[in-house]
Amino acid sequence: MSDASSSVDPVTCSVIEHRLNNIVAEMGEAMLRTSYSQILNASRDFSIALLDPAARLIAQADHIPVHVGALPSAVRAVEMKFSDDICAGDVVLLNDPYHGGSHLPDLTAFVPIFHEGQRLFWAVVRAHMGDIGGATHGAYNPSATEIWQEGLRIPPMKICEAGIMRADVLDMLALNVRFPREFKGDLAAMIGAARFGASRIDALLAEYGTKTVGRAIEGMLDAAELRSRAIVAGWPDGVYRGVALLDDDGTGRTDLAIRVTVTVQGDALNVDLSDTDMQSERFVNSSQANTQAAVAMAFAYLIDADIPKNDGAFRPLSVTLQPGTLVCPGPTAPVTLCTSHPSNEVVEAIIRALAPACPDRAMGGWGRRFRISLTGDNPRNGRRFVWHLFHARPGGGASVAGDGWSSGGEWHAVGGIKFGSIEVTEARFPLRFDHHELRAGSGGDGQHRGGLGTCLDLLLEVPVVAHTAGDGARHGSAGINGGHDGLPHHYEVEEGGQRRTLATKSFGNHFAAGSTLRLASSGGGGWGDPAKRSPERRARDILLGIADQSGTLPEDCA
Amino acid sequence: MTLRIGIDVGGTFTDLVAITADGTTTVAKTSTTPEDPSRGVLDGLAILAGRMGIGLSVMLGRCKQIVHGTTVATNALLERKGARVGLLTTHGHRDILEMQEGLKPERYNLRMAAPEPLVARNLRLGIDERIAHDGSVIRPLNEASVLAALERFRAAGVESVAVACLHSYRNPAHERRTAELVAQYLPGVYCATSFEVLPQIKEYERVSTTVVSAYVGPALHRYLTRLETELAIAGFAGDLFVILSHGGIVRVAEAVRLGAATVLSGPAGGIVGARLAARMLGLDHVLPFDMGGTSTEISLIVDGDTALSVERGVGGARIALRAFDILSIGAGGGSLAGADPAGRFNVGPQSAGAWPGPVCYGRGGTQPTVTDANLELGYLAPDGFGSGSSRLDLPAATAALSKLGAALGTDAKGAAQGVFRLINVKMADGFRLMTIRRGVDPRRFALLAYGGAAGIHATSIARELGIGRVIVPEMASVLSAWGMLASDLRYELVRSEMLDTAALTDSSLAELFARLRAEAVARSGFNVDGVSQLHFEHSADMRYGDQIFEIDVPLTGLDFEGPGLVKGVVAHFHARHKALFTFANFDDPVDIVNLRVAVVSPAGTDPTPPPAVLTPPKVAPPTSRGGVMIDGRLQTVPVHSLLQLTIGSRIIGPALVESENTTVLLNVQDKAVVTRPGWLDITVDPCRPRPVFP
Repeated sequence: MSDASSSVDPVTCSVIEHRLNNIVAEMGEAMLRTSYSQILNASRDFSIALLDPAARLIAQADHIPVHVGALPSAVRAVEMKFSDDICAGDVVLLNDPYHGGSHLPDLTAFVPIFHEGQRLFWAVVRAHMGDIGGATHGAYNPSATEIWQEGLRIPPMKICEAGIMRADVLDMLALNVRFPREFKGDLAAMIGAARFGASRIDALLAEYGTKTVGRAIEGMLDAAELRSRAIVAGWPDGVYRGVALLDDDGTGRTDLAIRVTVTVQGDALNVDLSDTDMQSERFVNSSQANTQAAVAMAFAYLIDADIPKNDGAFRPLSVTLQPGTLVCPGPTAPVTLCTSHPSNEVVEAIIRALAPACPDRAMGGWGRRFRISLTGDNPRNGRRFVWHLFHARPGGGASVAGDGWSSGGEWHAVGGIKFGSIEVTEARFPLRFDHHELRAGSGGDGQHRGGLGTCLDLLLEVPVVAHTAGDGARHGSAGINGGHDGLPHHYEVEEGGQRRTLATKSFGNHFAAGSTLRLASSGGGGWGDPAKRSPERRARDILLGIADQSGTLPEDCA
Repeated sequence: MTLRIGIDVGGTFTDLVAITADGTTTVAKTSTTPEDPSRGVLDGLAILAGRMGIGLSVMLGRCKQIVHGTTVATNALLERKGARVGLLTTHGHRDILEMQEGLKPERYNLRMAAPEPLVARNLRLGIDERIAHDGSVIRPLNEASVLAALERFRAAGVESVAVACLHSYRNPAHERRTAELVAQYLPGVYCATSFEVLPQIKEYERVSTTVVSAYVGPALHRYLTRLETELAIAGFAGDLFVILSHGGIVRVAEAVRLGAATVLSGPAGGIVGARLAARMLGLDHVLPFDMGGTSTEISLIVDGDTALSVERGVGGARIALRAFDILSIGAGGGSLAGADPAGRFNVGPQSAGAWPGPVCYGRGGTQPTVTDANLELGYLAPDGFGSGSSRLDLPAATAALSKLGAALGTDAKGAAQGVFRLINVKMADGFRLMTIRRGVDPRRFALLAYGGAAGIHATSIARELGIGRVIVPEMASVLSAWGMLASDLRYELVRSEMLDTAALTDSSLAELFARLRAEAVARSGFNVDGVSQLHFEHSADMRYGDQIFEIDVPLTGLDFEGPGLVKGVVAHFHARHKALFTFANFDDPVDIVNLRVAVVSPAGTDPTPPPAVLTPPKVAPPTSRGGVMIDGRLQTVPVHSLLQLTIGSRIIGPALVESENTTVLLNVQDKAVVTRPGWLDITVDPCRPRPVFP
């Protein structure tokens, strides 16, 4: 620990650290409670963090892991654009993946925090907007070949100057998205949450003084660094390799490989993704900020859960990328799918690579994302609607601790995305959930079994247009340490008595009123040798109806 | 003279406080009788009557009101000893409880096993029915499907049934009919329906809360009906009320119906008592610390008030009802100490409970407890004074601790010191969760110690946390029971009413509130001479049309009969939204989701303790006791009698201060001042290192 922090007593340090964590958590609560669109208020697809002007991550709320590791790049882009031209009351926005963003639908709002004339922090809120313009509703455009087809690009830009909202700019943004009122409501919620955080930080600085808070922060970053270095130091030095495959990119190109070489040396590690396949023509490319975030996410999963995920914790980690690959594409490539794919494959490749170095830390694969967005006319309120599927969550991976979490979600969310109340959904959208239960037999077998995916039968009360965007219908979640893979996704639509399979990346599907989506989501990967699974656990799985004598049930979604 | 009685049944002790119309207070304490807690209550009432110098039936005849806090539900949930529950739910939706909406706590902890739900999957069965979001019937209830499920429940030995169907808050017909079938085909089996427990949209909260009610309901029902009967036989003709987790008070039938609302019943009384004590002391920032025999409750009073929370779980189960924000730790004076097979030493969470209790109670306990360690260390006297118990068997405690010590490579004293230190660390961790983990500095608070076991540990825990002030009120050992009498009678009623304020008229809103008030008065059962004695609190859960989370908007200063009501309600909402979240969207539509009314009947006699000028008749000099472990060595220390100290007396530690039911340990350099009879205000020297153990 540095000398600077040693002069602040440990209790004060701890109080300040937890106060910072609480502030970001409360900002998240405010965001959740005030936002308008379903993707935010029902499914929590947003993240909150506090950074300093040097783009160091100070504190973050536990929302969507893949957002947070990307925020340092975002702050750097804002600092580069405005440097000293920031004053109290400003609010900056950005979404462009080539200017600090991850993908276009993730809009980020920044509120600077000043104390006694000094600019000390950024309160940052990143939220996935229900729509961001572009060729398709809901931003995921499987046929886009250039970023401009994916939506409105916003470089770092002031939406509010010295406390005065730029109404003209706001109107321009709102005009370019499909649901302007929702967009404005969500933006108000983002700015409100960031300002709420700023006022709480202000109170903290007033209470303890800038110096003490600063020292406490240095102390907490250093402490996190020490802890994560100590863990890496326990892994045998060496070069570890891992691969994960994307199903396809939607053009017929299949098994796109994410290849990772991890070099562990002493208490540091380098993650080199240079051998990854070349970039795609479609939206499965990952912006650089997003790739950094995915690597940070994998590292966060492997170190101790209670190490604060701040700048210090990630200091042992370096990343090497090769321009022109899937994970570092050229400047006009479409990238919208990247926060889920290939993020999830980047994580999976790293976990697979490092499993031999730390078998008790590695976990079976969590799910891949298979999203559907629906649009149509909503008889409930006479307006047009967009609805994003978050139900039918996939299963979580098993671990040394036990079986995986059923319906726990994907690698990029790991239990952080809520699927939202069925009753609320039915009351607001012309949809009916006829069946929504765990998918028996879907978890990968192992000493510990992968969590179960979900079966969903969703009746469409009105005609809709649907886009899909996802992966994992061919490759199931990875088994680890000898555990088996979980069953992959299988989505179908039943229309006029006919059933057909839905592709993971498809655009402009028209479904008639009365059709039913019949969705089976993937199970989590197993952990350890299935031969070591206890007979009691197997018997219990049979009693609970989630496995049969053979250990799995065949495809049982109706 | 008429009187009121507060009764708090804890895991180990049953505490009773009686207050007569002139403010005279009498207390009693007896052992809880877990197999039938009503027996302990009756024992306690007999003791109480004896202390008042009257017969039991005379006392009960004069008693207008009994307010009762019970841990029957708490213990069932925490110890996972509730009923075997079967869940009936809409076909195709039996996993709502287990999916938990896709959320998992501890985002970055991917090495974490999923918890077992309160109802295992094989006892969660779908029934053939479906109600739409607007309350219309999509599929009528197929009664044969219910009967088939009930047959499976019967075969599986199900003791309690939860019924929770989709959209039942809109149309409860199917749940109601299913409950009738349960009553008919599984007679005597408790049945909780979601439309009664929590008639609100959002199925996970409703299912989970209903399941908790079914899980704790049977035990609660058995106990409260038996208690009612026995009280009636003993001559009680007044009203029996149960305190709920949010501090409100309801009749027995309501408490049974809302089982999940009673899981913090016992501690809620303590919070109300602590709040009153804090007010009397003029303190805004207080950490109530209620350490009993089986469990310990920690909460936070900031600016004189305790937060309510709806986002809480108890024992891992989601309960979406308002409750005081309390942290429960499964450890107390009765917690068992032992070495696990790996040789690791631990205290709790298992407890010796009221029976057999600690080894030193001589009732057959063999595994040492925290209380046994406190006896071994000299903090408790073998004569039992200061522990709320009769004679304590020191040799038996020593023998049990020696055995534990042997497993740990030490002697009885060493083992006892280990127990004392570990329990204090656990308690301190609990305080850290309630304070530091929330960014609150505990050093700015005074620790208010109550519950029978708190006094021995409070000063050591305070030192561990850097807390400089500890207060032990006279009512320390019975503060919860005392607090119950300080509670206003309060009954809350909520109704889901989806209302678009743009289309709502003043008269229709006024009418809805009027109906709610009438129903609340009827259900509360508050016996009042005229409605004028009651007052009402109105609030509404509201949101902007596109939001899905509501905020609770207290509606004060509005004319609920006059014009402008809707406009006023909407203005309250915008203002509250702005206050909470920094902004309001004045142009957007505003919806009402729930209307709430609380009917409040003031408590009546203010249960203040005896007047502060009272001087004890005789000031006894302290006695002394040898063999008390202080700072790692055995010393002889003075022992003061709490009730015989004059106001203003000062005591400097090491010392022990005893009353009949509680003992306070003062470590070296702790300074206690007597602020009123029986109240100790202790300054703990935070600079002094905490006691070092070998």
